[in-house]
Amino acid sequence: MDAKTRDDLLGLFQSKLNEAMHFYLETCTRCGVCTEACHVHASMGQVRYIAAYRHEIIRRLYKKHFKARGKVWPSVGESKELTEMALDELYEAAYSCTGCRRCMMYCPFGIDTQMLMSIAKLLLIGANAEPETLTMLADMSIEKGKSIDIFKEGFINGLKRLEDEVVAKWRQEAGEAVIPVDVEGADLLYVALAGAHSIIPAAAIFNAAGEKWTLSFFEAVNFGAFVGDPTRTKLILDRIVNEALRLKVKEVCICECGTAFRVMKQLSGKHPFTVSSITDVHARYLKEGRIRLDKTKFNVPITYHDPCQIARNGGVIDAPRYILKQLTDDFRELAPEPAYNWCCGGGGGLVALGEDTLDFRMKSSRVKVDQVRGTGATILTTACENCHTQLSNLRDHYKMEVDVTFLSSMVADALVPA
Amino acid sequence: MSDDIKISKTFDLKGLACPMPVVKVSKGIKDVEVGDVIEAISTDPGSLTDIPAWARTTGNEVIKTEQDDKVIRFYIKRNA
Amino acid sequence: METISYIVLVPMVYLAAAIFIIGTTVRLIKIFKAPKHPTTLQIFPAKKPAWLWALHDTFLFPTVRRHKPVLWVFLIVFHICLLLLIIGHLELFGEFEVLQIIPHEIFLGKGLVGLLTAISLLYFLFRRFRSPVRDLSVPEDYYLLILLFLIVLFGSQMDWARNWYYYETMSVEDYRTYLGGLITFEPYLPESVTESGHAFMLVLHVFLANLFLIFFPFSQVMHSFLSLPMNKLRRG
Repeated sequence: MDAKTRDDLLGLFQSKLNEAMHFYLETCTRCGVCTEACHVHASMGQVRYIAAYRHEIIRRLYKKHFKARGKVWPSVGESKELTEMALDELYEAAYSCTGCRRCMMYCPFGIDTQMLMSIAKLLLIGANAEPETLTMLADMSIEKGKSIDIFKEGFINGLKRLEDEVVAKWRQEAGEAVIPVDVEGADLLYVALAGAHSIIPAAAIFNAAGEKWTLSFFEAVNFGAFVGDPTRTKLILDRIVNEALRLKVKEVCICECGTAFRVMKQLSGKHPFTVSSITDVHARYLKEGRIRLDKTKFNVPITYHDPCQIARNGGVIDAPRYILKQLTDDFRELAPEPAYNWCCGGGGGLVALGEDTLDFRMKSSRVKVDQVRGTGATILTTACENCHTQLSNLRDHYKMEVDVTFLSSMVADALVPA
Repeated sequence: MSDDIKISKTFDLKGLACPMPVVKVSKGIKDVEVGDVIEAISTDPGSLTDIPAWARTTGNEVIKTEQDDKVIRFYIKRNA
Repeated sequence: METISYIVLVPMVYLAAAIFIIGTTVRLIKIFKAPKHPTTLQIFPAKKPAWLWALHDTFLFPTVRRHKPVLWVFLIVFHICLLLLIIGHLELFGEFEVLQIIPHEIFLGKGLVGLLTAISLLYFLFRRFRSPVRDLSVPEDYYLLILLFLIVLFGSQMDWARNWYYYETMSVEDYRTYLGGLITFEPYLPESVTESGHAFMLVLHVFLANLFLIFFPFSQVMHSFLSLPMNKLRRG
């Protein structure tokens, strides 16, 4: 690595050193309490998957390049120069971490591994060593924001083909739009994913609840956040913020996508609209009596996987349980406390990397499979696209006897007239 | 089906979870020669914005998009 | 020998105290002046009031209690003893009426506090010899524990001597004379402190403590100041 590259990368490192990051880099006592926290370590056993070990990979570089100690007495903290080899280590640490933050439930100080890994991810981008798929997807999202006018027409036509399926779930009053798009003054902007499965059930439920809603042109997921690129993250986020402001909606509702929800809820700043997850919105409809569910629809034990970015990191914990109480009398918790739920093993961009990470995702999530099996449930439902894909992969790989479903689909399938 | 386009490879993207349609196309197009055309079949309305936006950022070209009641067909020429 | 004692007991103490105070202050100011993280870093479900729970997390180590109960016992013992030892040392500077609300001898616990501290430190040290903590540890962690252990050992020896062997030569008054001189910048070393049979223990104790103070601002021991704000971040 030449001096110029190193300086550029250290500049990126410096840009991440805010107050919280200093806390996390200065404080670890390597007490090892976090050893059992990571699902990868729990499933595979290698020391390099312990949270503190991951931290130390970043911390060694910090000690070398940002602390006088690195020059005066480098060996005392095993400080380490930023080299090509260090980049390999950073990749291994950052892309085996799903950013689930379960280790924060163990650390006596609350060190945020996801934050520390975000340094690794940014350095990898700077060195052009990040997974190119994620950058490609992020650029695609940004391009969509720039040239939406060119694609609008086709998208609206594409939605027409879904209308029959929406109406099959919930018969609409004549004259009302089945999937409204670009409606100024709507109450709620629904931001879905590219797939029809993220639009059809949601549309049926909005219509059943009599919501004044409109569908976003954009997909909710933020690939910029997966790859850890603050600039791209912001550009992708701004597309939706601008659309919400233009349509003057009161609420932005994010589909079942953990990253999308957390980024929108926590990073978008103050706006005249509120941000909610679709799970929140469905629970609200039920509480207000705007929709009603048939409890006999699924007569089997059901368990719910709390998506890390929505529950532990996003605070949506009670809403799914409220919904599930209307769906079944046999709801079974996966973890004694939702905050201790194991990550599905697919977060942090791993699922988006598809087959490249499949082998690792299966090996690193054995504890998740044991947890699901322990409940005896035959439906495993969740509220995140990433989790859903990963859990479905796990079901196939480990031959689990469960149906993996989206909670919103179950709500749509159980709709009965209120 | 477009008879006048010679298709080198077809990708079935129906019902794939986010973001697999774009990932599959993006990886798959590298299997054909520059100048060749691939066909991608999807059922998701999101792909109507995803695929063209992806093509623009990667320098490839969506030469034709067809929609019928059931599916959406993209014909994408590898330029890069 | 006399010169060495003098250097350790007077100029080096000033140097160590200066590095400790200035180093810690400057480093803390630098850290707290860095921009705040733009989003919340909290973990849910949230409990209110967050600051109270942050105090709870900082001083009672609930996550350790839950996941490593044995370590928790030693951690609590160690930190309580540390507090008592700090109080004990403060009282070597002079009488504090606040601290004498519950009347006690200088250095509580008849030497037991030091003993418990030393045992806890040995536990912390030995658990680092075993995987996985061994794989996580860096030299700094061992050095600090060994250093602290030796500081406590030599320090406690003086306490034990008074409590257990009725060794009267070095009294609280002698220490007060020495430390009082230091803080008024009129250093004076009473003969009992430098000449008695246990003087080498004091010199070693102070020497190692000086090293600890010098290293403090640059080491993981900064967790003493950063734990609370970090726990506040986690609590939201």
